[in-house]
Amino acid sequence: MSRFLKKSIWIFHLNTGSCNACDIEILDVLTPFFDAERFGVKLVVSPRHADAILMTGPVTIESLPKVVNAIEAVPRPRILIAMGSCGVGGGIWHDTYSTIGGVRELLKILEKRGIVVDHVYYIPGCPIRPEAIIYAIGLIKGLVKKKAKMKVKTAE
Amino acid sequence: MGKLGFVKILVIAAEAGRVTRKYPYEPPLVSSDFRGKIEIDETKCIGCGSCVLACPPNALVMSDEGEGYRVLKYFVGRCIFCWRCIDVCPVDAIKGTREFELATDNVEDLDEAVIHKRASCTECNGLYSTVKQKAYVMEKAPITENYVDKCPECRRNKLLRAFEKRRGGESLE
Amino acid sequence: MVNKQIIDNYRELALSLGASDFAHSGDTVYIVVDRERLRGLAEALYWKKNCYFRTCAATDETKINGFLALYHIFGDDRNGLNIVVKTYTEPNNPVIPSISDIVPAADWCELEAYDLVGVEFSGRKLYRFMLPPTWPKGLYPLRKDTPYNYRPGLPVSGERISESPVSAVVPVGPYHPALHEPEYFELYVEGEKVVDVKYRGFHVHRGIEKLAETRMTYQQINFLAERICGICGFEHSVCYAQTVEKAAKIDVPERALFIRSIVLEVERIHSHLLWIGVAAHLLGYDTGFMHSWRIRELVMYLAELLTGSRKTYGINLIGGVRKDINEEKKKKILETLELVEKDFKKLVDTMLGVPELVKRLKGTGILPREEARKLSVVGPVARGSGLDRDIRRDLPYAAYSYAEFKVPVYDDGDNLSRLLVRVDEVLGSISIIRQLLDQLPRGEIMAEDIEIPEGRIATSSVEAPRGENVHFIITGRGKPYRWRIRAPTYQNIPALKIMLEGENLADAPLTIASIDPCFSCTDRIYVIRGGNRYRMILPRRY
Repeated sequence: MSRFLKKSIWIFHLNTGSCNACDIEILDVLTPFFDAERFGVKLVVSPRHADAILMTGPVTIESLPKVVNAIEAVPRPRILIAMGSCGVGGGIWHDTYSTIGGVRELLKILEKRGIVVDHVYYIPGCPIRPEAIIYAIGLIKGLVKKKAKMKVKTAE
Repeated sequence: MGKLGFVKILVIAAEAGRVTRKYPYEPPLVSSDFRGKIEIDETKCIGCGSCVLACPPNALVMSDEGEGYRVLKYFVGRCIFCWRCIDVCPVDAIKGTREFELATDNVEDLDEAVIHKRASCTECNGLYSTVKQKAYVMEKAPITENYVDKCPECRRNKLLRAFEKRRGGESLE
Repeated sequence: MVNKQIIDNYRELALSLGASDFAHSGDTVYIVVDRERLRGLAEALYWKKNCYFRTCAATDETKINGFLALYHIFGDDRNGLNIVVKTYTEPNNPVIPSISDIVPAADWCELEAYDLVGVEFSGRKLYRFMLPPTWPKGLYPLRKDTPYNYRPGLPVSGERISESPVSAVVPVGPYHPALHEPEYFELYVEGEKVVDVKYRGFHVHRGIEKLAETRMTYQQINFLAERICGICGFEHSVCYAQTVEKAAKIDVPERALFIRSIVLEVERIHSHLLWIGVAAHLLGYDTGFMHSWRIRELVMYLAELLTGSRKTYGINLIGGVRKDINEEKKKKILETLELVEKDFKKLVDTMLGVPELVKRLKGTGILPREEARKLSVVGPVARGSGLDRDIRRDLPYAAYSYAEFKVPVYDDGDNLSRLLVRVDEVLGSISIIRQLLDQLPRGEIMAEDIEIPEGRIATSSVEAPRGENVHFIITGRGKPYRWRIRAPTYQNIPALKIMLEGENLADAPLTIASIDPCFSCTDRIYVIRGGNRYRMILPRRY
């Protein structure tokens, strides 16, 4: 994909109010069966050390300010990976009073505040399987081909 | 257990061997029952909307767009893969797959749409339902053929007139 | 069936303390009491009758009878009874006397009722608890006239809980390597000792209760309930389904009940293996972490085979389950369990043979029995502190009455006890699954006509890996009128204050983890900008 990501991607895990299932699968990716460190992926403890933010959850209004701060702290070029049906589309609670409804709304807020996100990736799944995370890593590094494609069908 | 009993972990590790999967260079460890993305068969779909009513996260929505079109939209990004739509579909137009490799860098890749033509009323030319749902109703319940080509409004008026006739001309309204 | 004598005793007690109404149905006793007499009744139930406190649920009933209502739910676990105490208050001056000084366990749910429904409690300090500090005053999301999707457009800003001049503050969270969920703890330390703890959670409040009462339908909520928590979600969906079934008096086929129990136990095994791994990691024993998760992966594959998803199983509906267990799967379960049991026993043996590990577990994070009772803690935390309570045995649900199992109880109240409880429970779960598979009856897995009448009340509990889930439902038309969820961590977090005080700072992450906190359950609702004054403790991420 992008030139600067040919090497190891360091990731900061940002839970913005998800139900935990995706977060546990992220940990699962690091354990023996899947072992994402094969691809040089490493979870880091501070956004300042990260290449990419792995975002789960629909972004609750309580966590929003902290999420914005965390994303701002990532050095450029920033990559935001929205995970799970909450992260990508707001999930089952996409329109409740205490969430903002996923990454698309978040990107609007970031844009308003002048925070640039260079690349955005989306991984649907509820919860995402560990393999789906590895597939996404492969996609970022250019190891696999993209399969998803918009489809418009006419019923006749 | 002796003082160095915990060294036994080496035995456990040796016994377990290497368990790491080589995915993406080998097939994933997906069981036969895994619920993945759904596939809508546009040749079967009649646009009745029961999947829209059953969908917990509103990943399936239906809206009327443009001149005489009704569109069933499926946003994979919000889907929770519960397959309730498959349970409720009256014509088995939705089928489940084991597809999970859905990651993308463009959110529009996650959209799907099925475009239906809406039926038009033979009396007032108003739009209602979809052409295919009308055909489905005709097939399942032929007795309704005098009514099925009218919009709900005209249908009601026609029924009222039929009652009127039977009662001998006195208006019900 | 509950002994008639016991019900009569409760009736006598309630009427002598001025209850205005008393009713009994199944395993639940309903008492209506005036505001003025609530405290007396609560004291008698909690301290004289030795009931546990489950939760309280404030409800906006203005559309039904013009009042706001508060339901306090107590549990007499020894006799298998739920006791629901109802109090009314007027919506224009909604004041109810607080019972949090008599029943310390009621502290949080009173604050929640204040925040979300706007019930005022006299005789206690009230403050913004669940919603963000900038949420507009006088806007209560759970009132019926507030739309579920109203977003007040809040400013984006941060906060600290409070200033403390004396001790140094160690902020832990909200994005902290030792927590995989956004929660914020402030640990006040003098030297290496923790002297006080403050907690600001509810970053994961997603408005689930309101969503269920507005946008969704009865069958859809099963999938919402599952997403309260991604680790122990199935417990929530079973609890929801069985509460509705109880309210509507639906007979669920026996086979469905067995399948529910089996899947519940599969979930318990994976959850405990997860926790044991994480605990090992926090102790710096990463080998244990990796091996525990390696074993867990077998269970995850099994869960997917049984249900169709690795987590958030999605097989529960009101009236039964969607997926059957056939002979082939049965064989696979037994094979997997054998492998898991063998590997797990070996691993635990080895882990507990590491002297450094045991030393750090033993005697840290102590929760004495009396304190545990006072706060009505649940699950392995209660059982690690010598409280013998387990909903699976006390108020049997699903198919647990067909299985024999021992409830592990340890008296020390330290981190080691809680670990041992969980180890025993994994082995217990394996045995329960085997027993249930052996007796799995034939038949349907889904009840036929399902009709849910309006205005029924029911409460029921499920023993999740972290403790009991309590769901309370008032049925409405097509969807619940009120659905209240009490997750286990909600009851256990207040106990952390006692566990952490006087501890070494180095033991704090483990102690916080030892209650197996699941914040997404608790909140259904902070990066702190560290000035130079604060030190961050940064153990490695798990």
